[in-house]
Amino acid sequence: MSSDANCEKLRDIGAELALDVLPGRERADAIAHLDSCADCREFVRQLTLVGDRLIGLLPCQEPPLGFESRVARSLAQQAAADGRTATRAPAFPVLRGRARRARIRLGAAAAGLAVVAGFAGWGIGTAVQTVTAAPPRTMESEPMLVGDMTADSTAGSPIGEVYAHPGSPGWIFVTVDLAGHGSAYSGRVSCVLERSDGTTVRVGDFTVRNGQGHWGAQTPVDANSISGARLTSADGTVLARAHLQTGHVLTRDTHAPSQQT
Amino acid sequence: MRFPVGRLPDEALLSGLATGDQELAVVFVRRFQHRVFGVAMAVTRDRQLAEDVAQQTFERAWRHAQIYDSRRGSVTTWLTTIAHNLAIDAVRARRTEPVAPEDLDALLGTVTETPERWALADEASARLRAAVSRLPREQARALMMAGIYGMTAQQVADAEQIPLGTAKTRIRAAMGKLRTTLSAPDRGGHVQ
Repeated sequence: MSSDANCEKLRDIGAELALDVLPGRERADAIAHLDSCADCREFVRQLTLVGDRLIGLLPCQEPPLGFESRVARSLAQQAAADGRTATRAPAFPVLRGRARRARIRLGAAAAGLAVVAGFAGWGIGTAVQTVTAAPPRTMESEPMLVGDMTADSTAGSPIGEVYAHPGSPGWIFVTVDLAGHGSAYSGRVSCVLERSDGTTVRVGDFTVRNGQGHWGAQTPVDANSISGARLTSADGTVLARAHLQTGHVLTRDTHAPSQQT
Repeated sequence: MRFPVGRLPDEALLSGLATGDQELAVVFVRRFQHRVFGVAMAVTRDRQLAEDVAQQTFERAWRHAQIYDSRRGSVTTWLTTIAHNLAIDAVRARRTEPVAPEDLDALLGTVTETPERWALADEASARLRAAVSRLPREQARALMMAGIYGMTAQQVADAEQIPLGTAKTRIRAAMGKLRTTLSAPDRGGHVQ
């Protein structure tokens, strides 16, 4: 069958393929065609977007009482299980991209830490059903460094955000959107933390596409010495900069029992 | 300065989830549980099964947070897709009877309703909702069966007692119209 004929056939079954309801043999044939036809790939991509958005039209519903608690307990148990297996084998498969590899290492390391430092206490808190039955309570948690990203060309308007968590494990998350301010920069950028004594430390690289990108990784964060963060292109040009301030994350107190009985 | 963790972007929460930060994980579940449970309920129509599906969704998200790729969709879309796939698998494993006509009509009514609160929804969703409501009834039913309940064209044909080719045509026609709607230039204004 000619390529045109394959394309015509694909147009007939593309909707079913995108909705993942195409029977096995037809599905295999369609995917084989997509491997060699960019136009049909784009056609199916658009239909897949329709399918995703269709699911998004479904109404939200209130989950059963205690659902949050049960999910939390389940995650704590799985974290404990991962902690035991992480000593024997990598917790996650090899993936492409330096940033992803960094996050994978982060996840594997954090799983072990969580057993000791985090999920144990969490499990205790969530074991008390009345905690989730009661209205959410708040507590002042560990401080977090936060700041808005700005660029010289944006006259102080925020184009992204930085969150740096100094706890254990420490981590940083950066999101940036240069596109809305006329920059469609694409390429690798370095995330550099600035200390109040003027020194800097590069904590990692990630890719920005069409001005947009976000990235997170595990890194030690000293809240007493870190004063800012900046993103630089490969040639050292500063694309965006953030002055970091210490905030306090307000979270629900999952470690203390509710006052309800 | 106090920074409420509830203001963290979805991607930041997911990143925190990947690190094993238990406090962010609780916030993550709290933020998305209504959306996830809603999808699970719509597909399974069984509260207990929906709860199981919703819990599995968060477990899977927690386990695979590192491979989330924002270029392929928002965190919400990623989560609802996981929930939808798990719900369809759960339904397929439990029963084979087609969806009841009254259930399908109720779902279609919910998806296409345009009360005032939807005026605040994003523009693409509002346009899609309006487009679904404009579909011929038989195409909208086929679309719901395939797109929400995960029924094959043959199952749609059996349920509607129509030829297989007709079922395929209805699914294709409905999806084609919605695709045209989403790819059309934004004309502004919400669904009235």
